[in-house]
Amino acid sequence: MLLPDHQYVRVDSLKDCLKSLRENGERTHVVAGGTDVIFNMRLRLFQPDIALSIRRIAEIKQVEELADGGLRIGAGCRLVDLAENALINERYPAFADSIRAVASSHIRNIATLGGNICLKTRCWYTNNSEQWRQGVKECFKTDGDLCHVIKSSSLCHAINNADTPLPLIVLGAVLTLQREGESRDVPIADFYQKDGMDHTVLKADELVTHVTLPPCADRTVFLKIAARKGMDFSQAAIAARASGTGTKAGEVSLVLGSISMAPIVLHEPARLIAEQGITDAAIEQAEEKVRAELGELTSLYARAGYKAHLAKVLVRRALKALREM
Amino acid sequence: MPPEIKPQVPKDNPGLTVVGQRQPRLDGADKVSGRSVFTDDVVLPGMLYGKILRSTHAHARIKRLDTSKAEALPGVKAVVTAAHATGMSANSTDSVAKASKRRTGKTIKLKTGETIFADDVVTYIGEEIAAVAALDEATATKALELIEVEYEPLPAIMDSRRAVRAGAPQVNEEFPGNVWSQDIDNYGDPDTAFDEADFIMESKFEAGVTHNLYAEFHVALVDFSRPDKLKIWTPTQTSYLMQHSLAPAFGLSVNQVQIIHLNTGGAFSGRGAVRPHHYVAVLLSRETRRPVKVFSAGDEEFLIGRALGKNRYKTRVAADKDGTLRAFDMTCEMDGGAVGNEVGYFGWMAGLSNAWMFDLQGNRFQRKVILTNQRPNFLGHGGMMVSSNCAVQQLLAKVARSLDMDPMDLLLKNAVEQGHTGLSGEVFASCGLKECIETVRRESGWDDKYDKLPPYHGIGVAVGAMAAGAKGAFKHDTSAAMVRVGEDGLITVYTGIPDMGQGTHTTMAMIAAEVLGIDANDVQLVAGDTDLTPIDIGAFAQRGTITTGNAARNAAIDARDQLAVYAAEKLETSVDNLRFAHGQVSRVDDPQQSLPFKEVTWGTLNSMEGRFVMGRGFYNSPLPYGTTSWSFDAQVAEVIVDPETGQIDVLKVTVAHDLGRTINPLAVEGQIDGQVFSAMSQVIYEELVTDDGLFLNPSRLEYKMPRTYEMPEIAHFMIESNDPYGPFGAKEVGEGPVVVAGAAIIAAVSNALGGTLMPEMPMTPMRVLKAIRASELEKSQSQSAA
Repeated sequence: MLLPDHQYVRVDSLKDCLKSLRENGERTHVVAGGTDVIFNMRLRLFQPDIALSIRRIAEIKQVEELADGGLRIGAGCRLVDLAENALINERYPAFADSIRAVASSHIRNIATLGGNICLKTRCWYTNNSEQWRQGVKECFKTDGDLCHVIKSSSLCHAINNADTPLPLIVLGAVLTLQREGESRDVPIADFYQKDGMDHTVLKADELVTHVTLPPCADRTVFLKIAARKGMDFSQAAIAARASGTGTKAGEVSLVLGSISMAPIVLHEPARLIAEQGITDAAIEQAEEKVRAELGELTSLYARAGYKAHLAKVLVRRALKALREM
Repeated sequence: MPPEIKPQVPKDNPGLTVVGQRQPRLDGADKVSGRSVFTDDVVLPGMLYGKILRSTHAHARIKRLDTSKAEALPGVKAVVTAAHATGMSANSTDSVAKASKRRTGKTIKLKTGETIFADDVVTYIGEEIAAVAALDEATATKALELIEVEYEPLPAIMDSRRAVRAGAPQVNEEFPGNVWSQDIDNYGDPDTAFDEADFIMESKFEAGVTHNLYAEFHVALVDFSRPDKLKIWTPTQTSYLMQHSLAPAFGLSVNQVQIIHLNTGGAFSGRGAVRPHHYVAVLLSRETRRPVKVFSAGDEEFLIGRALGKNRYKTRVAADKDGTLRAFDMTCEMDGGAVGNEVGYFGWMAGLSNAWMFDLQGNRFQRKVILTNQRPNFLGHGGMMVSSNCAVQQLLAKVARSLDMDPMDLLLKNAVEQGHTGLSGEVFASCGLKECIETVRRESGWDDKYDKLPPYHGIGVAVGAMAAGAKGAFKHDTSAAMVRVGEDGLITVYTGIPDMGQGTHTTMAMIAAEVLGIDANDVQLVAGDTDLTPIDIGAFAQRGTITTGNAARNAAIDARDQLAVYAAEKLETSVDNLRFAHGQVSRVDDPQQSLPFKEVTWGTLNSMEGRFVMGRGFYNSPLPYGTTSWSFDAQVAEVIVDPETGQIDVLKVTVAHDLGRTINPLAVEGQIDGQVFSAMSQVIYEELVTDDGLFLNPSRLEYKMPRTYEMPEIAHFMIESNDPYGPFGAKEVGEGPVVVAGAAIIAAVSNALGGTLMPEMPMTPMRVLKAIRASELEKSQSQSAA
């Protein structure tokens, strides 16, 4: 499959990048590692006039240690470098685990953190070639007005399959979004929207430049279930965090990914554990509260019933893992 | 009965110097460094790019087809449609139908009437409607978009069970009720066996739709710029069948069609026939008088690729209380897809092969091929034998359990031995099945593990047999080979057998090297070009090692005999007092007297007489039809099932394979590893998900195949029964292991779940969770009954 016609533009500084985005943001798709974007362009899922390569921008390829013990990570950092970064492994082991869980070593060698955070939602009614798609009606993603996975829906139900955002959410990470002459900080928890079409709050003239991680002394864990060990998107994944030790947990947060259009923060199960501690009885009760917070599930990539089941399994496993830490 | 025949070399002391050595593939370095040339690497001067417009409907009438805009697009050199292929049919294997009649007396329906392009009705998504040839790929793709097709959708039938109900939409009017074919094969006396047996057990089993996912996608490069010469580069398992299918379609004689298969990137039984894209490439090249390359890209590969369809089995076993197996009775409903094709034949093979391992009174296999508006189906790795063996072997474990018998004892009690005559008259001239079973029992630690493992940890055993070569596709089953001797002692073997990854070219080099007493690295292959290489029916039915191997051996013997004349003269002895080994030609009665092999070749080819040495040889089974030699196989798999996620982890597979003689241990281990991988992939992972005939997961990402991380530990044991027909006693290792590994894995999963039968493959996590619930229910019911 050939790439559609486009202009390839490479910028070497953040300033040039933001200028280009101001001028042509609507007609541009940013390419960092390109592992997902280029392939989707071949499928004609989007056909930007300009593919804007940000690979050479040095300002977004640093990991800085902050005075408070946190880290500020450039969105252009390659996943392989972050997975091997001593500070990340020491201070944010669950985040490091989530990076290593992405795709394969070959892909992590060029894919970037910003790319994974902005990963497009996926659907097996759209993520095939243009010729293949002629066999199905147009849907929201292809200029139609229906969703194949939930026909009655007014929203696109494509799946957000990104792994790294889950630990970033429980860690309270903040994204820096820059446009020419302007910068805003958005907690990553507020970055995603429950809409497969418009899945983040990022604007066409903006770039995710940095991820700021506050210090964290709590226990954290990341778990992923996929059809195979590597080179695969999650069927379901979880990041969990708890303060305290043993069964005691003052603050708890649980975030599920890959089962819906956006990561799902589990409020009630987390509240229950925070109140009762990480006991077997509380875990069992927490599991029972999971389904209600998942909303409508689809049988996209895995059966809806299986996703709901995995969500409970992951909550149980994550809580038990935290208790052992 | 076959004629009495002695093995070529003694079993235990054959004096072999090359055969049995760990020989790296001769083409290995080129393969891993990317130097090997595949069809898509070939670019000819003036070559055009061909693209095919395919149906987007599972069943529809083509109301209007307008190609005028595409034809007008600059850069487009030809647009072809059904009008260009009038009267042409994509029948691929008429010869197989004739063969089956010769062999069984029955007509197996194969004539498909499949056209190259859909005429006025399309019957599956992906069916060919039109094709274009253009100066470049982008223009060809653009041209496809300009072809206007107006469809009138017709009711489609997607499920073979619904297809046979009254009032179901008809896929092909020639086949009322959508029944393509219906056959019953009875071997021995199954009725008496079922009447007299102490008990009968039965089960149901289903296998899902697969794709072979070759490393090399479908591609055909055709140069038909001269009307009297049709040249095709394409991956294939059989250039011979391709020549015989294409020549009549284009009014040529067989040898006016030249097939060049450089390297073939995987075949798995699926590349044994000519497909519409081959014909389309020829039509485009004929129209333009230029070379045209037609290739699939991305998900189109899944539309072109024909592999296994949905098969539903009902299996019955008749047995006695002492563990004697009396008979099998299997019924299979096969979804043939929109073109019934050869799948009925494959069902027949599966029915036969299920029974080869056992001394039975009767065996019956009933099969019904049903037409649906799904993709036409064909073969996958191991054919239908993987799934049918899964159905049978699981049930045998249940029979053993019901008798409170160890499955190993059940298998040993009923296993065939050398000299056994099977129900369809097959005679096992060599057979190491019992040794295979005993080996895996010992080496897997079976006796310490069976029914002694913790919950969700299981162990299972399965056995199998595979025919090495099967005469019947044509009157003969000939492979020929030529061995050219260079004056410098370098040897060239000419062979038509395709190497599609199985490493057969290295095997042929080793066989020739063994005969000539030289290093296999001094042998090069010329292969895969029907203008250069002698007849070879192809790499299917496990005929490579035994048939082409014998041909290569015979050709090398012929060459050796020619060289012996010079050597005997120099060593002042007779030609039958010479030994060719270790790069030397020596006197048998006085080994100190010897000449280097290279001196013999130099002397021979620089003689006053101007001698030239070219050995020729061929091999054709001495039987009128059928098989001379079977491999046998036993495997034990150990698995852990995650009861929470339903995921299966295959820990270890212990394989004992009776291959007759090991030619190359390195290649044998590779074959076994590959087949364990493939079987595991089929029974646990691979499934095409469809929505009204549309594949939802047509990509390497979403069509789940495992990777190296999922590979279990594999223990290989090569059992050498020294077959009298095989070259140096060798039989096959190309397909025997795959039909057993899947069954062993499924038996292990069933064992992990307390003996609950797994009703379906692949055993996806959802299905495993369902089986776990069923096993818990069984347990609670048996407890409450007690």
